[in-house]
Amino acid sequence: MKKTEKELEGKIALVTGGTKGIGKAIADELANLGATVIVSARSLHDGNQENQFIAADLSRSEDIKQLANKILEQYGTLDILINNVGGTSAPAGGFSVLSDEDWEKDLQLNLLAAIKLDKALVPSMIERNTGVVIHISSLNGKLPLYASNFSYGVTKAALNNYSKALANEVASKGVRVITVSPGMVRTTAMETFLNSYGASIGKNLEETAQLVMDSLGGVPMKRLAQPEEIANLIGFLVSPKASYITGTNYVIDGGTIPTTI
Amino acid sequence: MEKFAQELAGKVALVTGGTKGIGKAIADRLLQAGAQVIVTARSHPGQEKLKHHFIAADLTIASETVKIVGEISKQFGAVDILVNNMGGSTSPSGGFGALSDQDWENDLQLNLQSSVRIDRAILPHMVEKKSGVIVHISSLTGVLPVYESLGAYAVAKAALNNYSKSLSKEFSPKGIRIAAVSPGMVKTDTMDSYLQSLSDTSGLSVEEVTQNLISSLGGIPMGRMANPEEIAELVGFLVSPRASYITGVNYIIDGGTNPSL
Repeated sequence: MKKTEKELEGKIALVTGGTKGIGKAIADELANLGATVIVSARSLHDGNQENQFIAADLSRSEDIKQLANKILEQYGTLDILINNVGGTSAPAGGFSVLSDEDWEKDLQLNLLAAIKLDKALVPSMIERNTGVVIHISSLNGKLPLYASNFSYGVTKAALNNYSKALANEVASKGVRVITVSPGMVRTTAMETFLNSYGASIGKNLEETAQLVMDSLGGVPMKRLAQPEEIANLIGFLVSPKASYITGTNYVIDGGTIPTTI
Repeated sequence: MEKFAQELAGKVALVTGGTKGIGKAIADRLLQAGAQVIVTARSHPGQEKLKHHFIAADLTIASETVKIVGEISKQFGAVDILVNNMGGSTSPSGGFGALSDQDWENDLQLNLQSSVRIDRAILPHMVEKKSGVIVHISSLTGVLPVYESLGAYAVAKAALNNYSKSLSKEFSPKGIRIAAVSPGMVKTDTMDSYLQSLSDTSGLSVEEVTQNLISSLGGIPMGRMANPEEIAELVGFLVSPRASYITGVNYIIDGGTNPSL
């Protein structure tokens, strides 16, 4: 797989939550393809010094504004926006254990953070009649769970809907907007979850991973994704090769989702 | 802009309906990536010199499928990449009442059964090697039914989507990836002559019937049809090792046309 040309040369890219997991893999891939990559996260993790880092807690509107302003001041514009931040702090246990605050937190992290950041940065794309916005969603947005990740899935479904509407609005203005919905990905966060959940039921990591895969109805590919596999898809989607792709939700899940999509 | 220059080197690829339109663009793209490319069509496209190995076959006839697969495995060995691109419609426009049993059967042969047969002939070789990729070129109409024209075509494509998903459930555990790609309107010669025929029968100009067709889909947010090369880039990505976690999906590429999620 020889790379003969840097197809994102000269492009400015922001990856939120870009210091670890899927976000870091995406940041690395975009840098590989020649983009100038800025990553944001609440705090800096090791091993990501090659990309410019801006500290921001995207659950805070003030931080979102500052992040956008810093980028526009320094670069004047943004070509590629990867809304990767997301997650859940809600407890497992189904509908009745979720407090109003749990719902609000998940909505903030998985939906409103992306909306606010898009609002701050998409105008500069429209002005130049070019740009790509990616929303990292989750298979849970199409495949709801309830024992855990209940509010997370709901807020990702909202993100999917939002992303489609935004794509409709800005397609004629040269900006492409795409959702990517990964299934289970073997990130450090996933391994931490599998270890702690496994410990509580007396199983090791691989057994626990199998259990969770089974709870989704099975993963035909019989394994979790590597973060780099998600990053490869993003690398393609933000490139000029994907010039007719907008308003889509590309699932990447090793076949997990049981219905046609 | 060829970045991943020879990532399909050593692979044998078969593209059905590969002498024109989307199929030709895909065949060219796979060749560019280093694959050995075989194309089928009912007839040789004339004086044009083909860069691919051409085999004449009418894949709506079962015996021809068996014959060409035998020919291919003798000459090239096992097929690594199968792009089921052939498809289309011989049905008249005019809605439900205009479609005869023969029209339904023809469109099912062209869009579903021809793929089923060629998959059946080639899958055992892939299973043996525990690797391979099959792409089914479907159509946006498979998820966005239309009725004035292409009614039977759309139904057959919906069946193809279902079939492709089902096949992925069975064969993904065996190391084979199976994906569907659903293009919206693509500017091919076939599309041009289809628009011309609509124009001839309606007395409207080609521009008017084009606009009417786009309106019947609810509009194309990107404001234009795809080029065949844009579809080929997506297929080129999907059959590459970079798409190693992608199976069982239906990737829409339609400039935002699909109005729903």
